[in-house]
Formats: sequence, C-alpha cells, structure tokens
Amino acid sequence: MRRALAPAVVVTLLIVALQLTVLSSLRIEGVVVMLVWLWPFAMGLTGYTSLALVTALLAGVFFDTHTTTPFGLTAAVGLVIAYGASRLGREGVGDLDSAAWWVTPVLAAVAGFVAPALYVVSGAFALNFNLWRGSVLSMMLVNAGAFFILARPVTRLARIVGNVGERVHR
Amino acid sequence: MATDRSKRRAWTLGVVVAAVLTVLALTGGVLTGLRSAANVVVTPFNWTVNEIARPLGHLFAGAINYSDVVAQNQKLRYELGQAELKANEEWSLERQLQQLSTSLKVPYVGSLPTVAVEVTTLSPTNFAATVQISKGRNSGILVGMPVVANGGLVGSVVATTSDGATVRLITDVNSAVGVTFGDGAMSLVVSGRGVNNGMSATSVPLTTPITPGTRLATNGLNGGLYPPGLPVAKVAQVSLTPGAATYNLILRPTADLRHLQYLDVVLWEPTP
Repeated sequence: MRRALAPAVVVTLLIVALQLTVLSSLRIEGVVVMLVWLWPFAMGLTGYTSLALVTALLAGVFFDTHTTTPFGLTAAVGLVIAYGASRLGREGVGDLDSAAWWVTPVLAAVAGFVAPALYVVSGAFALNFNLWRGSVLSMMLVNAGAFFILARPVTRLARIVGNVGERVHR
Repeated sequence: MATDRSKRRAWTLGVVVAAVLTVLALTGGVLTGLRSAANVVVTPFNWTVNEIARPLGHLFAGAINYSDVVAQNQKLRYELGQAELKANEEWSLERQLQQLSTSLKVPYVGSLPTVAVEVTTLSPTNFAATVQISKGRNSGILVGMPVVANGGLVGSVVATTSDGATVRLITDVNSAVGVTFGDGAMSLVVSGRGVNNGMSATSVPLTTPITPGTRLATNGLNGGLYPPGLPVAKVAQVSLTPGAATYNLILRPTADLRHLQYLDVVLWEPTP
C-alpha cells in the first residue's frame, strides 16, 4: 500500500484538479459529475481498501476546501462509497477481467445514484437542511449515467495505480 | 496478533482523522488557513489540467458552435447599442437620483467604489451556487461585500484568501436577500433555489400588489446585507395554492448568472 500511496496521491490531486477546472463547467443538465466520488469507488472495487479510503479522504478534503458546503461532507460520502466498494472488491465482485462487462458500470451507476442522496442526508447531521432544495433527483440520475459510462476506464486506472506498489515490490 | 495491532492502528488513525476534521470544521480560522493551504497544493495541478484541457475544449467547442458564436456576437452588438442608448437617456435621471440620495443620506449604489474581478472557477459542486474570483484581501475585498454584473446583483463574498475570494450567488440555497418593489413600501425576503433554478419567495400576503414582470431591488434596510437599489430579480410566476392565504413567487434573477466572466465587487460593508 505504501509504495502505491505516492502515485495514488498524485492521481487523486489530478482528479481533484480535473473536477475543479473542467467538470465544474462541463455540466450535464446543470449537474456536475462527481469524479471525486467515482475515483475512490473504483479504487475500492479493485480491492485496495486502504488506498480507497485514503483517496476518498484526500479527494473529499481538497474538494471541500473549494466549496461553501459543510466541510468534510464530500469526504464522508466518499469514505462510505469507497468502503462499500472495497467490500465488493474483496469478494471479487466487479472485477474487470472475470465479471461480465456490465457489472462494474452497473455497480458504479448505483453508487452515482445513491451518493447525492447520501450527501443530502449527511447534510442534516451537519445542521444544513437546505441541500435538498437543489434538483437532487437530476443529480442522482446524471451521476448514475456518467458513472456507468466512466466506470470501466476509471477502474482500469485505479488498477494500474494500485499495481504500482506490487510491481515495485516484485 | 498482527491483525489485532493493524486493526487497532486503523481505528486510532480513523479516530484521529475524525477528531482533526471536527476541530477544523468547528474552528473557522483554522478552516480558512486550511483552505489557503489546500489552494496552494491544488493550484499547480489545476494549472496543468487547465493548460491541457482548455485549448482542447476551445478547439471542439469552436468547431461545433461557430455559427452560434457568430449569431451571439451579432446579438451582443445589437444589445450593446441598445444599452448605450439607454445609458445616455438615463444619465440625467441618475444624476437627479444621486442628488436626492445625498440629501436623504441614503447610500447611492452608483457612487460606491467597485473592484473589477474575473471569474476563475465556477461552482465545483451541485450543492452550492458559488464562483471563485481572481482578487481577494490584497485588493480590499472583504467577506460580506456585494457583487454585481450583467445588470444586477450576483451575490456576496463569503470567503477570501489573499489573492482570491468565493462569491455565493443569489441562487444558492443558503442565500436570502431583502428586496422591495414598486414605491418601496413593502419588503420581501427572496431565497435561492439552487444552481440554475432561480429564486423564490414564499408566504407573500395576498394584499401584495405583485404581478409577473415586477422588478425587485435590494431594500437596503438598516443592518441589511446589501445597499439599496441593486436590481435582484423579476417575478416570473405568481402561484396561489387553493385555500392558501399567501402567494408563492418564482423569480428570475436580473443578472444572467449562466454567463459570468467579469464581475464588480462593490466595496461596501454591511452595517452591524
């Protein structure tokens, strides 16, 4: 895990930068695709639990420092998604090679659908009850669609980053 | 044994991280410091991605939307001509208003100094309608200052760094603006409905003489967050639930918030 940490951190920061500079203006039906949630999900699905949690925390914290929403909320949702994905990844569910081609995209779509709702619910714990006033359903649908499409390439990238440590070790 | 130790270590790490995050969240000053530090770390990555992505994006957008751009340019030239004509007509009226405002000791918006800024980043999230701007504390921009552009109020500054600031747009779900209309005898509070969803006002008394098309401007009440007279929104829809004793209003912001590039920060601080 330690050897893969450096490339994982660099890729995570690049993904945060991509989220902040490109995806913020590339809205679909006014909705931003949350790559900062898809990335830890993909990392978790490849079975790297610790890396998934670290990337979720890092991506969330760096992202949250650029928004006016409650601090730590994106990180918290990312951690939940990453943990859930890593449980599946450990069982071999959603493996790019052995599972059917649609399993990873469908799992990602479910994560993309659930994540915005989870964010709104978590917002209540941070005493922010206004988050539901945005178009939550369209956020859920757009993110589900985008996660479905992006799941395989992002999971492939996560596997490459996770494998760095193992290759160096060998 | 080793598993127990690693489990204990993971738990300790988790507890420490949670404690640090809680402390950071509860202490605003530290959060501002963290925001600045995070900016320093992420900025080189942002710059790299921007340098690669922007030309590619422009290439594709230019190839696909060229005819739209030409049409938009012609429309803008026409609108600019109209605006210049209107500005000339309103010059004398404005002067009279300025004189009246001075005699009544009411701050006049047109006389307040402004700082021109550029939008650097649009809201990166679905849950907050904000933009990042190119100037901050070093240019005299402080938290609470109103921001105007495209003919109306855009929002207010909610966070600053030495060379940047965050502006919360009036359509943000946490935004509330005190407004007035007509002869200024009646005030309302309008709030944001989220990114791209405009604004709304609820529980408006049925006696309020308001119709679609009515223009609303900041009321500038004592202790208010904005100076008086800044155009905020136009009433788009007045709805009445059967049996209810109040109206609900759907509003369209006066400023075009979808195309924000250059803004003016009004150097005016809310009175406590």
